[in-house]
Formats: sequence, C-alpha cells, structure tokens
Amino acid sequence: MSIHVIKPSSRKNNAAKALVSRDCGPTGCEVDWLTSIRVEAEDDITAFTDFSLEKGWGDGLPLVPPTESRVRTFLSGNDRYPDEIIARMPDSSECTVEKIVINAVMAGAPVESLELIIAAIEAIAEPDFELYGVNATTAPVFPAFVVNGPVRDALNIPYSYGCAGGVATKANAIGRAIRLIMRNVAGQVAGTTSQTTFGSPGRLASILMGEWEEKSPWAPLAERRAGVEGNAVTAFSTMGTMNVLDTTSTGADAFLEMIGKSVAYPGANCFSPSMEYSEMTIGINPICAAIIAKGLRSIEDVQEVIWKYASLPADFLQAYHREQVEAQGRIREDGRIYATPEPKDIVLFVCGGLGGLHALGLHSFGSSLSQTRPIARAVPAAIAAE
Amino acid sequence: MAQVKVLDPTASRQDDNASRGPDAGVIAGKRIGFRLDQIWRCWDWISEVWAAKLEAAGAQVSYWRSTNRSGLEGEEQAQSLDAWLQTIDIAILGLANCGSCTGWTVRDSVAAANSGIPTVAVATANFEEFAHVLAKRGGRSGLRVYVLPYPLNELSREEVHPVAEAYFEGLLSLMGASLTREEQAA
Repeated sequence: MSIHVIKPSSRKNNAAKALVSRDCGPTGCEVDWLTSIRVEAEDDITAFTDFSLEKGWGDGLPLVPPTESRVRTFLSGNDRYPDEIIARMPDSSECTVEKIVINAVMAGAPVESLELIIAAIEAIAEPDFELYGVNATTAPVFPAFVVNGPVRDALNIPYSYGCAGGVATKANAIGRAIRLIMRNVAGQVAGTTSQTTFGSPGRLASILMGEWEEKSPWAPLAERRAGVEGNAVTAFSTMGTMNVLDTTSTGADAFLEMIGKSVAYPGANCFSPSMEYSEMTIGINPICAAIIAKGLRSIEDVQEVIWKYASLPADFLQAYHREQVEAQGRIREDGRIYATPEPKDIVLFVCGGLGGLHALGLHSFGSSLSQTRPIARAVPAAIAAE
Repeated sequence: MAQVKVLDPTASRQDDNASRGPDAGVIAGKRIGFRLDQIWRCWDWISEVWAAKLEAAGAQVSYWRSTNRSGLEGEEQAQSLDAWLQTIDIAILGLANCGSCTGWTVRDSVAAANSGIPTVAVATANFEEFAHVLAKRGGRSGLRVYVLPYPLNELSREEVHPVAEAYFEGLLSLMGASLTREEQAA
C-alpha cells in the first residue's frame, strides 16, 4: 500500500437548468414563478417559530414567516430566476433559488447576501465535498466558510476579533440561512438524517468568516487554492474549533511547531482508519502570520513545516488502530503517521484579532475536500432592466 | 392574529420504488458479492463466515471494498462499484454501523437494487431505522435491510463468530434465498 494522495475528481454537480420560458423576468411577469406549496400560518414571529418546529422546518430560534411578499422582495433585490436549480443535494433533492430565498427570509439574511449563499451551496454540493457523508455521520461536522474579496466588508463578514463566532453581525443570519438550507433541503437533521452523536453549535449558524487579506503576508486563500481573485467563498467541513494557545514562542518554526503538534491527536478524524486522508484547515492570527512570514519565504514553506509537526509516531496508537492505518499504507518510513497526505492539504488562512497568541484549528471530516467558488455580483432586476 | 400564506422551505425527491426487488432464489451456481468497508473488522469476519457457507452451497463469492468517496479516488470507486455490480447475481452490502457508513452502505445498496439484482443491506440494530430513512430518501424505500446486533465491532473475533453463525439463516430468509433446490421446493 502507498499513501493515498488527494487529487480532485472531474465530477461536477450537474444541476439541470430550468426549462421554463424566460419571456419575462423575475419581477415583471404575470406568471407565478414561485412553485412552493403555500401553507397557512400566523404572521407573527413567535407563533410562526412554534409552527415551524411542528412542521420540522425550524431550528428553535425565532424565524421570519416566508410570505410570498417577503420572498418576492428578496428576489427583486437580485437577478436570479426562482426556478433555477443551483445544485442537486444528497439524494437528488433540488436546491432551487426559490428554496434558498425562502430559507434566507426565514433566517433574516440580508437581500444582498443571496449570491454568497448560492456560491456556498454550489461549493458544498460538489461531489468532492462529500456532503452525503458529512450529513449522515455520527461526527459533529458541518460545512464552514471563508470569504475573500470586497464582499467581506459589504456584508460585514467578520475576519478580525471574534471572527469564528460571537460577533454582532448579519453574517450570523447568512450562516443560519445556509444551515436552514442544510436542514430543509440538503437533509442534515440530527436524529433523522444525521446520526451526529453530539452535534455542534456550528450546526445552528455555521462559521462564516472572512480572511483578513490586508493583514496576510500571503495571497488570499481563494486565489491560492483555486485561482479565484476577488469575491469568493471557500467551503470546508469542520468538526468545530480547536484553540491553540502559544504565549512562549519567538520565531516562525516555534509557532508552527506548536500549531502542528497541537492539531495532531489520535482521536482527530485525520488519524482515523475510516478514511485514508483528510485536509486540515488552520486559521493563523495576523500577528503570528507576520512573525512567520519573516522566517519563512512562502506559504508552501509554512505548510511544509506545519505538516512535518502535525504527525504522530505510529506506536503512539493502540494496536487495532495502528494495524488498520498500517494496512492503508499510512505509516511512513520514519514510523510516523501524518495528519494529511501532503503539505498542500494543510489549508491556511489569516484571520483573528490583533491580540494574537492563538491559532484556530478546524479539523476536517476525512474525505470531505474543501471547495472554492467565485461569488457572482448581484444586479437587482430593477437596475438590470434600465 | 393575522393569518398569512407562507412558502414551504423544504425540498426532497418525490419518486420512490417500494419494491424489495427480486428474491435471491437458489444459491447454487450464483455469483454473490459482498461489499466490505475499511472500518468494521467485525463485518470482515462475518462476511468470511457467510461466504464460506455460501461457497459450500455452490455459490461463487467476490468482494468489493469501499474506501474514500471523494476526489479522484472517489470517482474511481464509483466506477469500480458499477463494474463490480455487473459481475454478480446477488449483492450483500455492509456495514451500516455508523452514520456515514450507513449512508454509503445504503447508497451503494440502492445502486445495486436499482441494477435489478437481489440486494440486501446489512445494518446493526442502532442504525436500522436510519438505513430505512436513507433508503426512502434515496428513492428505494423497499430496500431489504438485514439487522445484526449492536454493539458488534467492540467484540472479539471469537465473540463475533457465533453471531455470524446465528444470523445466517435469517439472512437467507430475508433474501428469499435457499441453499439447494430441494430446500426451495420444501
């Protein structure tokens, strides 16, 4: 057996486009473009939230009733047809613009966020993201997102203090919209279509954060990973956040040693025999990034050093565990098992407050591979028609 | 309080095949395929026991092992699964013993059943209901799911062996299979 390296497949999520006539646009048409079943409910947030829980639509937090008027208003701020199929989700359910908008309205997401949500859904629906396994697993995993480009500021996507959670911003509502789509369309409902043993707070509003590109010594994540410049979103699966505190290191290698060794623990999915490979996403704070960049020339060098430290000696594992990963050819000549097959699989980005001191570990779910998509520029129909 | 019409935020596939698919019939002379994975050693052990019994009854047994389902490897897995299903007459797929492995066991089982061959997915008790939910969401609610006790992988090989022995007859029954023509006639 040899190391299973990660190579992207040529498979794509083939979402068939709608075949309806485009004789009239999203806003100026007599045709009823909205095809979802109408259900009678009270136009009151508390009553509708209770109603949604009964229907299995909600997450327990307050929801805005997705009336036809609210859905149409949201659509009119963009230039998408509601019947456009954005992706086929696990088990072939169709995720249309209409379903995305209904869930976005319920979550209270801003009208301007539609293209970001669409790009995020496109990313997690790619076969290499392996949403089927992400949904079903006993793990707490959920899709999380790093945003690049000017859209970060336009939508108040946090990339500084508290970027991984807790900042007062409508980015939380955007993340929640994605989570409601995961629940209502993609099928990630704990105890029903997801066997997650513990779940995660990230399954409520996800983690939607930006990269602090202006403080990064390296090119933006989307550019490095996928050659996408400007507005883009990178989706990756994560088990949650792991904090790495370092109050003592003084140079690049020391910081990276602390990060690499900290993320490498036997129970991490990257060492599980259930999957031969995994990516590892790590957020580096701007202060630390600047120090690292003084010592190491390129991001590839940084990945290489973290990769070297993010490993375990094989004899550290119990016998059954060791035998299974050995059968997969994952024990190298140096007697160690590495968290990822290659340094390139260490996914790095810069974020966080200027207090420094901490790194952000975001362990992946094995075979789920990060995906980057450009974010289209929304042109509201009213403007486009002029 | 004002009543309004709201739009349903959910979507799911609407088609379903509630058929169990064809019975396996007489085992002798049939090509029987076992889908294995790389997590559950207990399933390897049980498959060995069942395969020996099926071979003794005149069947040919082959194996296909599920690994990673993403990237180039996942693409190759999908192709090799399709090719393997072309070479067998009966499919026994496992093991649904965790969340994602239940997902992929059921997805591969639905593919086998949809190819028209007698198919049974094997699950442990704690994942039985989940397997049926996923089969329905996959458009094949009639999928046969055979249930083994849970926990299973936590047992030693010596402890798993009698489970394999005890559950073989039940497997044949659910598959609509018989070891010999005489048995089938009876």
